[in-house]
Amino acid sequence: MTLSPHPPQRALALHRELERVWGRPRGVRGFLMSVNHSDIGLRFMVLAGIYFGIGGILAMLIRTQLATPRGAFLDSPLYNQIFTMHGSIMMFLFAIPMLEGLAMYLLPKMLGTRDMAFPRLSAFGWWCYLFGGLILLGALATGLAPDGGWFMYAPLSSREHSPGVNADVWLLGITFVEISALCAAIEIVVTILRLRAPGMRLTRMPLFAWYMLGTAVMMLAGFPPLILGSVLLELERAFDWPFFDVARGGDSLLWQHLFWLFGHPEVYIIFLPAAGAISTILPVMCRTTILGYEAIVAAILGLVFLSFGLWVHHMFTVGIPQMALAFFSAASMLVAVPTGVQIFAWIGTMWKGRPQLSLPMLHLLGFFGTFVMGGLTGVMLAVVPFNWQAHDTAFVTAHLHYVLIGGFVFPMMAAAVYWLPLISGRVRVRGLGETAFGLIFLGFHGTFFIMHLTGLLGMPRRIPTYADHPEWMLPNLISTAFAFMMAIGFVLFALDLLLHGVFGRRSPRDPWDAGTLEWTLPLPVPSYNIAAQPVATQPSAVALARGEGALPGAPRGRREVLAGSTLDARPQHVAVLPGNSLLPVATAAVIGIFVLLLLIGAYRLAPLALLVVLACGWAWHRFGRDIRPTRVAVTPGLILPDQTGLRDSLTSTGTVALLVADAALFGSFLFAVGFLGVIAPEWPAPASGLAPAPTLTLIGLVMVALLAASVAGRHGGRTAPLAGALAGLAALAGVAGLALMLDDPTRHARDALRAAALGFVALHIGVGIVLALIARDRQPGTGAAAGRVWRLWQDFTLVTAAALVLVAAGQEALA
Amino acid sequence: MRWLLRLAAGPLIWAAGFSAIYALHGIGCAEGWALVATPFGPLHRVALLGGWIATLAAVTLVVARRPRPALDRGDRLLGLGAWIGLVSVVVTLAPVVMVESCPAPYP
Repeated sequence: MTLSPHPPQRALALHRELERVWGRPRGVRGFLMSVNHSDIGLRFMVLAGIYFGIGGILAMLIRTQLATPRGAFLDSPLYNQIFTMHGSIMMFLFAIPMLEGLAMYLLPKMLGTRDMAFPRLSAFGWWCYLFGGLILLGALATGLAPDGGWFMYAPLSSREHSPGVNADVWLLGITFVEISALCAAIEIVVTILRLRAPGMRLTRMPLFAWYMLGTAVMMLAGFPPLILGSVLLELERAFDWPFFDVARGGDSLLWQHLFWLFGHPEVYIIFLPAAGAISTILPVMCRTTILGYEAIVAAILGLVFLSFGLWVHHMFTVGIPQMALAFFSAASMLVAVPTGVQIFAWIGTMWKGRPQLSLPMLHLLGFFGTFVMGGLTGVMLAVVPFNWQAHDTAFVTAHLHYVLIGGFVFPMMAAAVYWLPLISGRVRVRGLGETAFGLIFLGFHGTFFIMHLTGLLGMPRRIPTYADHPEWMLPNLISTAFAFMMAIGFVLFALDLLLHGVFGRRSPRDPWDAGTLEWTLPLPVPSYNIAAQPVATQPSAVALARGEGALPGAPRGRREVLAGSTLDARPQHVAVLPGNSLLPVATAAVIGIFVLLLLIGAYRLAPLALLVVLACGWAWHRFGRDIRPTRVAVTPGLILPDQTGLRDSLTSTGTVALLVADAALFGSFLFAVGFLGVIAPEWPAPASGLAPAPTLTLIGLVMVALLAASVAGRHGGRTAPLAGALAGLAALAGVAGLALMLDDPTRHARDALRAAALGFVALHIGVGIVLALIARDRQPGTGAAAGRVWRLWQDFTLVTAAALVLVAAGQEALA
Repeated sequence: MRWLLRLAAGPLIWAAGFSAIYALHGIGCAEGWALVATPFGPLHRVALLGGWIATLAAVTLVVARRPRPALDRGDRLLGLGAWIGLVSVVVTLAPVVMVESCPAPYP
C-alpha cells in the first residue's frame, strides 16, 4: 500500500499549531500535568540516575566497611539495611525505570509517531515510581529500611524473624513501584504493535523496537510472580496466613520459586533494552548496517522464552532432585546460544564496518570486555557442581556485577552520550567523558575481577566482618580502592552530561550521520516530535517539518496519531490521545496513601483510599466518553474515523496485554497451589469444615452469574452492560457468602490459599462491574471499544473462577 | 497478531512442555511413581518420556508446517521460531532419558 503525503505547508505555522496542542503549561502546574512521552521518559531517566547515585553511595559504604577485616564503620543492623537497599535500589529503582524511560523517550521517535499509546498511564507510572521510591528512601533515612537482602527470603522475612516494619516497606514499596513497570510494559507493547508509522512492517521496524517488544512481554509475564509472592508474604505477615510457614502446610521455598520466577527473567529484562541500544548505536559507530537482523530477532525470541526456564539455577543448593537440576542446568547453558548469536552479530558488524573510537563506541567496547566475561562466569555457575561450591560467595557477587554493569550500565552510558543531542540540542565537549570512561572501566574491573578470587577463597556474601580470614583482606582492600576510582568516574560522567548543557555547542541535525528516523526530528525534539507522520521509507527532515506526510499539524485541536494493523502497519483509524491532566498524579498519590495506611497497619482505613482510587478511575474514563466522532483525511485520498464506534481500539489491545500479565499472576498462583500440595510437608490439610450443600449452592450461584455476565458481554446490546453489572453483583454476593463459610485461613496453607483465591475472584468481579458501568456510560461514542474491554475481562474472570473451582474440587476429591 | 502467535508457537510449546514435565516430575517424585511398575517401565519414567515425546511431536509439527519456501523475512523468521522451539525441547528436556528421576542430589 502506497500513501501519498500531504502537500507542503509553512513549517513555522505547523510548529506553533502543534505546540499549542501538544505542549504543557509552564511551571509547577505543567510539571504536575504533563503526560508527554518525552517529558515522562526523561523524568524516568533522570530519577533513575538519581537513585543510581544513591545506590552507588550505599555501595561505597559497603566497600568501606569491607576494606578491613574488623570494619567498624557500620554496625551489623545498619549494614544489613544498606546492602539490602543497595540491591533493591539498583534493581527496582534504577535499572527497570531507566529502561522504561529510555523506551518511552525513544520509541515514538523511532516509530514515527507522536506519543505513547496511553500517555496518562506513562505519567501515572512515573508518579507511582516516584512515590514508591520515596517510601523506600524515607524508610532508609529513618532506620526502617528492609534488611533481609534484596531477595527477601522467607522465613527470614516472616513476622517471627523480621518483626519490625522493615520487610513490609520492601514488600509494599516494591509492589507499588512494580505498578509503574506493568504500566510501562503495556504502553510499550501497544505502541510498538499499533502506532508504527504507516507501512513500517513489523519485520522492518528498528531492532530497538524488537528488543523493547521482547522486554515488555517479559515484564508482563515476569513481574506477576513477584507481585503474587509479595502479596502472599504481606498477607502472612499482616494476618498470619501461613503460605510460607512449614509447620502449617506452607513452605519457605515457595517464596524462592516465586521470587526467581521473576528474578532470572529480570536479568534479561535489563539486558535486552541495553542490547537494543547496542544494535542501534554500533552500526552507526562503525559506519555500516547491522549484521544479521533476522538472527538477532530470532535470538530475542529465544531469550524471551528461555529466560523463564532458568530460575531454579538460583536454587541449586536447596535440595532439588537431580533431574530437575539437569533441566535447569541445560536451559541455563542453552540460553548462552542466543546471547552468543547477538555477540557474534555485533562483532561481525564491527568487522565489516569502520569503527570510530568516539565516546559511545568506547562504552560499547567496555560492554564487550565486561559482559562477555560475566556471561562466561554465568555458564560456570550453570554447571551444578561448580554452583554448589560458589553459591552465596563473593564469586556470585562478582558475576552479577559483570553481567549487570557490563550488560546494562555501559550500554546505557553509550546510549546517554549518543542520544543526548535529542534532549538538549547540544553536543558534549570532548575530554571529560573519555576520562570518566577510563576511570569507570579500570575501577570496575579492579573492583570486581578480584572479587571472583575472593569468592573462590570462600568469602560469603553479605558479611560485615571477616576477622578470622586474613587471606581475604588484600583482595577486599584492592576492591575497595578500585571501587572509589569507579565512583569518581561515575561522578565525572554525570558532570559531563550536566556541563554539556552549558558549554556544548548547538548540535547539527543528525550529528552522528545515523540516517535513522529519530534523527530527522528537530533538535531539541519538540513536544509533538514530528509535524507529520512519515509515509515514505526514507523521509527527509525538511519534508516532515513542512507536513509532507500523514496527519500534518493539529487542525482539530486534538492530539491525534495514526493507529494501524499489527504486522504491516496498515492505517486503521486516528487515535485521539488525552492531553495534560492532574489525574495521574492524583491517582498515584491516593495509591501511595493506601500503601502508607497498610504500612502503619491501618487496615480499616485502607479501603477508603481504594474508594478514592475508584473515583479517580471513573474520572479517568471520561476522556473516552467525550470524544466527538470525526472522520479525518490522514493523507490525500485516505479518510479514516477516530476511535469512536470502533471495537478494535488501542485500549482493547492494551487490555489483552494486561490480561497476559493477569494470566501470569493466575498461573503463578496455580503453581503455588500445586507446589504446596505436592512438595510442602504437613499435607494433606486437615478436613475442611465447609458444609457441602450451601457451598455447592453458592459456587453454583457465582458461576451462573459470571456466565450470565459473559453472555451479556457477548450480546453487546444497549442494556447488556447494566445486565452484566447486575449479574456481577449477584456473583459478588455469592463470593461474600463463601467467604463467611471458609475455614480459618490461619489454620493451614490450604485454607489460606482458598481465602486468597476468593479474594482474587472478588477483585476481578468488582473490576468487571466497574468496566460494565463504564461501557454503559460511554455509549454510543466509544461504547463499542469499552464493551470489548469489559467482555475480555469478564471472560477471563469466568475462566479463572472455573479453574479455581476445579482445583478446589480436586483437592477435596484427593483428600 | 496471528503472525506473532505463529512466530512464538515453537517456544510456546516448549514453555508448555517444560512446565508440564517439571510438574509431572515433582508430582511423580512426591507420589512414588518410580516404584509403580507398568509394562513399559516405572510409571514415573513412562510419564516423563510420554510428556517429552508429546512435546517433541507438537513442536516437530510446527517445524514441518513452517513456510516453505520462505519468500520473505517474515517467513524466514517463522522458520527460525519453529527451530528454536524444537532445539529447546530437545536440549532442555533431554535429562528425562539421561538422569535418574528422583534421588536427592546430596550423598
